[in-house]
Amino acid sequence: MSGKLGTLWGLMRGHRLRYAMAIVATLVSIYFMYQVPLIVGGTIDLLYPKERAPQHLTYVHRALDRLGGRNALGRNLALVAASLILMRAFSGYFLYTRGRWAAVAAESIAKRLRERLYDHLQHLPCRYHDKAETGDLIQRCTSDVDTIRMFLGSQVVEMGRALMLLIVGLPFLLYLHVWMGLMSMAMIPFIVGFGVAFFSKVQRTFKASDEAEGKMTSRLQENLSGIRVVRAFARQQYEIEHFAQANSEYRRRWYRLMQLLSFYWPTSDLMCFTQQGIVLFAGAWYVSRGDLTAGDLFTYIMYVNLFLWPVRNMGRILADMGKALVSIGRVGEILSQPVEVEQELLSQPDNVAQPPSAVAFLAGPHANGHDLGVAKSPSAMATLMEPHLNGHSAQPRAAVPHAGTQPAAPPGEIVVKNLVFNHGPEIPVLRGISLRIEPGMTLAMLGPSGSGKSTLINLLLRLYDYDTGSIRLDGLELRALPRKFVRAQIGSVLQEPFLYSKSLRENIKLSCTEAADEDIVAAASAACIHESIEGFENGYDTLVGERGVTLSGGQRQRVALARALLKNPPILILDDAFSAVDTHTEKMILRALRNRHGRRTTIVIAHRLSTLMHADRVIVLDEGQIVQSGTHDSLIAEDGMYRRLWQIQTSLADDLAAELEANGAKAK
Amino acid sequence: MSQAAIELQDVEYTGKFSLSIWRKLFAYAWPYRRQVVGLFSGALTLGGLEALFPLVTRSVVNEAVAHGAQARLWVCALIYVAFTLLFGITVMAFIRLAGWISSTVSHDLRRRGFEHLQELSFSFYDRRPAGWLVARLTGDCDRLSNIIAWGVLMDVVWSSCNVIGTSTVMLSLNWRLGLWVLVIVPGLVLAGAYFQPRILKLSRAIRKQNSAITGAYNECIAGVRTTKTLVREEHNLREFQAKTGQMYGDSVRNAVLSSLFFPLMLTVGSIGQALALWHGGRMVLATGENPHPDVGTMVAFINCAGSLIWPIWELARVMADLQNAQAAAERVLGLIETEPQVKDTPEALAAMAAVRAHGGPAAGEALDGGPRDIQHVEFRHVNFHYVEGQSVLEDFNLTVGGGQTIALVGPTGGGKSTIVNLLGRFYEPTGGEILINGRDYRQRSLLWLQSSLGIVLQQPHLFSGTIRQNIRYGRLEATDEEVETAARLVCAHEFILKQDKGYDTEVGEGGVKLSTGQKQLVAFARAVLADPQIFIMDEATSSVDTETEQHIQRGLAAVLTGRISFIIAHRLSTIRKADRILVIEGGRIVEQGRHRELIALHGQYYDLYTNQFTEERTSEVLARHAPPAAAKAAPAQ
Repeated sequence: MSGKLGTLWGLMRGHRLRYAMAIVATLVSIYFMYQVPLIVGGTIDLLYPKERAPQHLTYVHRALDRLGGRNALGRNLALVAASLILMRAFSGYFLYTRGRWAAVAAESIAKRLRERLYDHLQHLPCRYHDKAETGDLIQRCTSDVDTIRMFLGSQVVEMGRALMLLIVGLPFLLYLHVWMGLMSMAMIPFIVGFGVAFFSKVQRTFKASDEAEGKMTSRLQENLSGIRVVRAFARQQYEIEHFAQANSEYRRRWYRLMQLLSFYWPTSDLMCFTQQGIVLFAGAWYVSRGDLTAGDLFTYIMYVNLFLWPVRNMGRILADMGKALVSIGRVGEILSQPVEVEQELLSQPDNVAQPPSAVAFLAGPHANGHDLGVAKSPSAMATLMEPHLNGHSAQPRAAVPHAGTQPAAPPGEIVVKNLVFNHGPEIPVLRGISLRIEPGMTLAMLGPSGSGKSTLINLLLRLYDYDTGSIRLDGLELRALPRKFVRAQIGSVLQEPFLYSKSLRENIKLSCTEAADEDIVAAASAACIHESIEGFENGYDTLVGERGVTLSGGQRQRVALARALLKNPPILILDDAFSAVDTHTEKMILRALRNRHGRRTTIVIAHRLSTLMHADRVIVLDEGQIVQSGTHDSLIAEDGMYRRLWQIQTSLADDLAAELEANGAKAK
Repeated sequence: MSQAAIELQDVEYTGKFSLSIWRKLFAYAWPYRRQVVGLFSGALTLGGLEALFPLVTRSVVNEAVAHGAQARLWVCALIYVAFTLLFGITVMAFIRLAGWISSTVSHDLRRRGFEHLQELSFSFYDRRPAGWLVARLTGDCDRLSNIIAWGVLMDVVWSSCNVIGTSTVMLSLNWRLGLWVLVIVPGLVLAGAYFQPRILKLSRAIRKQNSAITGAYNECIAGVRTTKTLVREEHNLREFQAKTGQMYGDSVRNAVLSSLFFPLMLTVGSIGQALALWHGGRMVLATGENPHPDVGTMVAFINCAGSLIWPIWELARVMADLQNAQAAAERVLGLIETEPQVKDTPEALAAMAAVRAHGGPAAGEALDGGPRDIQHVEFRHVNFHYVEGQSVLEDFNLTVGGGQTIALVGPTGGGKSTIVNLLGRFYEPTGGEILINGRDYRQRSLLWLQSSLGIVLQQPHLFSGTIRQNIRYGRLEATDEEVETAARLVCAHEFILKQDKGYDTEVGEGGVKLSTGQKQLVAFARAVLADPQIFIMDEATSSVDTETEQHIQRGLAAVLTGRISFIIAHRLSTIRKADRILVIEGGRIVEQGRHRELIALHGQYYDLYTNQFTEERTSEVLARHAPPAAAKAAPAQ
């Protein structure tokens, strides 16, 4: 609880003064508002004089007396009316100021919270995302943040206003007549208490109603997304009956809630009327006894009217405040998850000769792995820039840093030594991998699923951190390099490429935001997607996703490839990137890749021999180990998986004939 | 496609008030006219009671002032109690009535919409994302029923009655003073008319931005690897900040408008009070001994002036909301009124009515009186296009006899799925005809045809519920044994038993808790259980591993015998056994025949087959290297 309040206090940083000002404005506003009943009461007293003068004179009485009393009242009435309007207007002005300040504060806090959550999610390690449930995360980032926003922007403010109405009102009420003052607040505890009790109690009903609505919505959603199955089995009637159940249940739950509210509101109304009645009749009784003037009575009636309704809402707000605390806890849970941290660089003795660029990378605001990250590539890196796809680069791009003052070897060398990685404590994925990829070399990986190919790629990209062993990128230990720096060196197309719901152009440009249109077309052409894109009605401006086109798996893979090619990194990784692309297109893509200006270090995971055979080296992975390694020629000479694949291709004609014969025999 | 999506950009404002739409909408409340009348009179009573309330205060004050110690306050107290009790009872009744009407009308609208959606053709769904339709039947329906019950019947009636009542009370007490106070009404109306639509418009904008932000979070999480590998964090955050910034701006603007509106209304209200005091005071001073208006009346006037703002406030809100609701009504009613493109023709309907009149179909008869069994299917000069001008099938001809298995192969987009969609009458030919047992299928019952089909789609869709429930979807009255038999037939039984609760394992929404391959097996079992006359598989086993695929082959042979089957094939083993293989490209049959014949032809089929052959053998080789557990279970061939 106190921890959550601490979190809340922390969230308010930078806006605390604004909140304090809002409180002051509320006070001032209430003070002006409370003058109105006094003005009206004093005037009425003077208009309808009694034998007995009022017991307690207010400044209004005195001022009107000084201005000439009843005789001059005809003249002064305009003044009275003007001051009444003025008081209301002042009060209104400060009310407005308060509303504005509170809104700015609450909305700024909500905005900051949303952005912090977003950025935090981006920087949480893949291990976290592997386990987390998307729906739940989104719920926390949206509804929970909104609950907190409501709490700060309206609940706290309304609560504060109601409390101040009572506190500021008390001296006014007690001054005129002590007993009347006490009686005008007599019902307040009951009204608030009843509200708190009721709304805490019905939260279950609210929840049940929400759940019934959720069920109805998900039935609807399921029916619509599965409408083809419904039709395929002609199950319309069945679906209608099922939906009718959920629909009626929602209606029932919702009406149940209404029934409860139909009990609350009139009851609460009656309590409020009782409060007003007490003031009216007790006041009238005092008036009839001459203890109170008609003006005083009216003052009391007005006061009660001013604070009764805001105070009545306190009950509901108090009951709802618990929700905000729960939300703060849920949001705090995400924010307290550790993000990917860059910590080992400075403590790593191997990297004494730090490349200036990598150091600059770390010295930036993203050193805690959380802030805005790579703002601009440090100039040291810009000087090492490589020629871009078409000879000109729009974005300063990072090249691999060179150790110290050593003459630069062509970048893109990867050396892996005894690499071990476990998924969880018990499940070994990589069991000691060692390999060396020379700059500009194409390495192909082959192996059954689960053999560790993708894991190796993920480690290279530093999406996961390896346990033991080492990976060196151009001589530098990968673990000691900033993640973003490492990733900037690698262009990758992962198994199931993700496209953002932006236009195709923007999707390709993601890797290189300032790329010129010719470069985009060049990259798309190399990835054999240019023609498909041109075939769309809006070409490169076609939107991807629900509001745009649905791309096939092969098209997505090719767009992702274009994206990676546009980046033109020293290292290119293709993780089963052509699985949904037909063989003919794949051949064209591979040819384009080979012909690219300046070869890059390339790692390809594939199953098709046609993809594998052109690699400089092929390794075969099985159960987290390299079981074979060599060139196409050497591998077809030795027994193993690669040769078996080769045989399928070479003996295709024979196999077909044999198969036909077998089939024919069976048929007879 | 993209054009269709753009059409869905929701129209939020429809400028003109459309009487016909509201008439149609109120027709949904017509069956509940007794409740509507109750709510109407409740709102009327409430508005009236509140207008009369200042009179009670007036008499109490006057009694106390005029009669001093002899004041008969208890009489007034009794009236007061009666008043408040009546008020409380009315409030209770109207909340119940309004709650009842709004929940019932929304329920009815939703039911109508849902039932109608079950009839609409696939072409309708092609152009609308499911999320859009869901929003129509949830948010829009609730909004409409709320505006009917709470907005029009409650708020409009109450506020109008309250304004009229309050004015009447004031004018009858002292018409000159009343007129002075009523001067503020135009001011209040103007303020309401200015602020409420703007506040509503901003709230709508905020709602939209909120869903954009939700979408951004979704993308942030789903694309986290891509973001990381592209080092996009900073760009993404900046784009996200643009969204939150916009939301911030609109939210603050909205709050500023609201915090201006409220004090402004109060201030205008206080002008009324000031006018009452000023002019009332002058009248009092002018009357001398017996002051007129008396003190109670004065109090009543000031109270009336203060309370005038609330009904006008509500009225302005509902009026602003009505425009918004009309757009929602157009969307919902538009959906309900969309004519299904594929539906029973008049002659099919007449035939079905005739059968019903004679006490239902005889043995061997379908519900339209035609033969129940399907012996023969023919496509005759069929043309088809989804979009005008982009022909998918052209002069397509095909004859299939009883028990034949037809395999359709060819490149994506060649028209394979279209052929089975036309066969199932999910779309109808745009030219030519499809004959079943020699009769144009448009003369037969849609329900009969579609319940004679068993379809397994490439993207298997399961419904949330247990595995057993999902299989049983194929035939609702099937026993547990029959469900299991079907599962065994497609080799799903073993994996099902390995699940936590076997057949009673929940599959999650859309089947998320199962792998794609497992979902395909369940969907397959579902189709098998349906025991259909025409069996259709649309690349249904593409995600099943080689080993399971081999199991399925055996079951499949049993399923295919004795029925017409259309198989859009992925696996060679399925294709090879087909009675006829059609190579479809560009909406035409380019090659057809048996496997041997087509191989011998060395044409398109040969290329497709050898490619596929290599891929399958490759994955077999890879599978044999898979962890020992799987290798052990590999079948001996």
